[in-house]
Amino acid sequence: MLRILTVLLLAGALAASPSSGAPKAFPYAYDQHDLDNGLRLITIPTDYPNVVALFIVVQTGSRNEIEPGKSGFAHLFEHMMFRGTPAFPPARYEGVLRTAGAASNAYTMDDHTAYHTTFSREDFETILRMEADRFQNLSYTPEAFRTETLAVLGEYNKNSASPTSKLSEVLRDTAFEKHTYKHTTMGFLRDVEDMPNQFEYSRLFFDRYYRPEYTTIVVAGDVTPENTRALVEKYWGEWKRGSYRPEIPAEPPQQGPRTNSVHWPAPTLPWVAVAFRAPAYSDQEKDQASLDLISYLGFSESSDLYQKLVIQDQKVDMLRADSPDRVDPYLFTIVTRVKKEADMDAVRDAILATANGFKERPPAADRLDAVKRHLRYSFALGLNNSESIAGTVARFVALRRTPETINRLYEVHDQVTPADIQAAAQRYLTDSGRTVVTLTGGKGK
Amino acid sequence: MKSLWIPTLLFAASLQAAPEPRVVALPGKSPLVTFRFVFLTGAASDPAGHAGAAALTASMLTKGGTRDMTYKQIVDAMFPMAASVSSQVDQEMITISGTTHVDNLQPYYKLFRAMLLEPGWRKDDFERLRDDAVNYLRVSLRGNNDEELGKEVLYQEIYARHPYGHIAAGSASALQKMTIADLEQFYKDNFTRANLVIGLAGGYPEGFLEQVKADFSRLPAGRATAVKLPAPKKAQGLQMTMVEKNTRSVAYSIGFPIDVKRGDPDYPALLVAQSHFGQHRLSGSRLYERMRQVRGLNYGDYAYIEYFPRGMFLLEPDPNLARRRQIFQIWIRPVEPPTAHFALRLAMFELQKLVKDGITPEAFERTRSFLTKYVNLLMKTKRAELGYAIDSQFYGIPAYSAYLKQSLAKLTVDDVNRAIRKHLRATDLRIVVIAKNCEDLKKKFVANGVSPMQYNSPKPPEVLEEDKAVENLRLDLKPEAIRIVPVDTVFE
Repeated sequence: MLRILTVLLLAGALAASPSSGAPKAFPYAYDQHDLDNGLRLITIPTDYPNVVALFIVVQTGSRNEIEPGKSGFAHLFEHMMFRGTPAFPPARYEGVLRTAGAASNAYTMDDHTAYHTTFSREDFETILRMEADRFQNLSYTPEAFRTETLAVLGEYNKNSASPTSKLSEVLRDTAFEKHTYKHTTMGFLRDVEDMPNQFEYSRLFFDRYYRPEYTTIVVAGDVTPENTRALVEKYWGEWKRGSYRPEIPAEPPQQGPRTNSVHWPAPTLPWVAVAFRAPAYSDQEKDQASLDLISYLGFSESSDLYQKLVIQDQKVDMLRADSPDRVDPYLFTIVTRVKKEADMDAVRDAILATANGFKERPPAADRLDAVKRHLRYSFALGLNNSESIAGTVARFVALRRTPETINRLYEVHDQVTPADIQAAAQRYLTDSGRTVVTLTGGKGK
Repeated sequence: MKSLWIPTLLFAASLQAAPEPRVVALPGKSPLVTFRFVFLTGAASDPAGHAGAAALTASMLTKGGTRDMTYKQIVDAMFPMAASVSSQVDQEMITISGTTHVDNLQPYYKLFRAMLLEPGWRKDDFERLRDDAVNYLRVSLRGNNDEELGKEVLYQEIYARHPYGHIAAGSASALQKMTIADLEQFYKDNFTRANLVIGLAGGYPEGFLEQVKADFSRLPAGRATAVKLPAPKKAQGLQMTMVEKNTRSVAYSIGFPIDVKRGDPDYPALLVAQSHFGQHRLSGSRLYERMRQVRGLNYGDYAYIEYFPRGMFLLEPDPNLARRRQIFQIWIRPVEPPTAHFALRLAMFELQKLVKDGITPEAFERTRSFLTKYVNLLMKTKRAELGYAIDSQFYGIPAYSAYLKQSLAKLTVDDVNRAIRKHLRATDLRIVVIAKNCEDLKKKFVANGVSPMQYNSPKPPEVLEEDKAVENLRLDLKPEAIRIVPVDTVFE
């Protein structure tokens, strides 16, 4: 079924009136096609010449790490996917990418893992065939597995120089009890150190999740839907469907505020993180969209709190809030870096007062419109090349398997009223759903 | 050596002949318009005792108010457009850039123009941005990012007592002494028509470029900044700087100056050698393969022939970091302390091998093919294309993509191996180490004892055989050539 949407981005004003029938947020025509085995293909022809961006999105991430001791496994598996097949051992695989002048990498998130390659149009079939091979025929030895686990430890090591990695680790661990969002995608250090002993489990992980029904291929660039479909059917059509469905433990409601603190061994400026339990991603309900809008209304560079803490009083040098899109209920988080330890409590209280303010009164309508316009333009400015278009779609495909969810999400945004903002704040920015984590460092100059 | 200066001289001549700012324009149909204004000046022009003046001046322009508007008013005006203005400061370039949707072109440009032409020089902006600059050095760089720390210390060591001798962000003590008047003076001397390159790309309407040119002719004419950049002093043997800090692992940066930059006859050949040896963030290059893929020593290992800051956050380099002087550099990502000695030896072993054996015809063909196509990916956004075009003007070369493809087509494996022998070496270089317990590590380096490698899985015999050579590799590090510095003295 070829679905063609009108290209609106070029047509004119993007957000002249966000509250009255704004154009589609995702302006590109795309073709969405399901193979018989459950694999989904999304092709987005763009007017950027010669280049093709391929994102292969597997709907498994650290959320799927349900067994104790296995945190970090989705990410480890992302590494293993570069360890070759009988037809394309690593050296040959790398040789093909090299000759093609391709840029290739991968990343692991809470809900998905994405493998991406950007290359010249003439190498499309070669790359697609090679990628199909590794998703279907990955084969590695226990020796290669053990060696790769050390590269993962190396990644943990390079991340460990930053206190924000630790802050995020402790925040999740404190805010969640049962759900796998309790751990970061890197995983707990103890599990990372035990990875060399988990060869068998790695095979099980591949068998469970690297299946067509978990996978969506996103192609953006100098391509046609017809040719892309034909190539994907040819190389990916025989891939066998799986049957595994994980039971992700549900997180029980939080019964009261939680706090935790981290001591960082080296000198650093202190950090304060305030998190509230937040709803799952939705392109239908207004709550998650409302919290997203609150993150800009209350805590972005244009907010009163930023003006006070960063510009006027200069007590903090960084303030940001985020309500990330996740498959299951996650967190709305405000993070700040404070210049003096003595100001930490006052800064935390100012953040809480701002959050409470949304419960007490709705925001001004013109301010809400400005935030909506900001989000629309911000999204449009990000779609500035084929790779970023495919990468953006990949992020949403991980949630709903279609770019149409982007349009639905922005439609929901447009419908949010000041009263909706207040209602969402009352439901979610509560004391009982709150977690505060602070980080302080050793003393330096 | 003479050829090194020709493009620069030609460029300098064209500067003096130009009565108005030079323009690099890439009009197109995109609904986005990108501004990239480059001033050909930077940290190398920081006055004595004012390390960081260029960077702080640029921050005052882009993160401070204008004569008529406070910073808060600017942010509020920009916010509905999702737009901003940002700065990047390097030794010889200050880049002020931003992108807007064409819907908002005139209101955005009005702000952009006021920020550059009518800075506000407010005290509260100054204090906030100076704090940010000091905290960047003391906290973000020194405290939270061992890899960037190692790279920047390497540059400081190589360029000691040289115009490139301090990081563009400056030094904490100089920043703390700086005044608004110092920055106003820097602005007056450096933000001139003679230094300005106007870069504009995307779907701007007819007549807009002329408007921009007319507006910016209000800048004083000035004189082109002309800092003399002698060759830095060569290291004698291996010289090591160890930065002592409380950290989990050990990070290395290794390097030496080279007489090659874009536009020089050996640039394409050396680029092939570097890409083969350690293409940034891509697997399959020699160092990555031998250190990470085969031995699992760390997360990655790369090599460079051009300045490439923020490499841990970027897959491709940012443009407009053009320099007349470059270094060859190896970046070893953090390794576990028990393997630290072995890892350094292996990196040096591979460098020795590259210098001695060069690259094979097969590796040459593969790498040439890679670079010929990969250059297309570097230009995937208008923003990047514009930045590269401005850099090409700096280096006096045609469009980078055409320049590289044409040069690579003519290149032979012999050219590459001759360039390796001429410009690369495994001696007379500097090594920077970021580690805990530097004294212990220093003792090991100086003793030159065997550093056996333990693996968690069986290795092929050829790897174990190679390990014997690596674990006994003699690195002639004399105690007097090793300096240990506490981290809180770096960038102070």
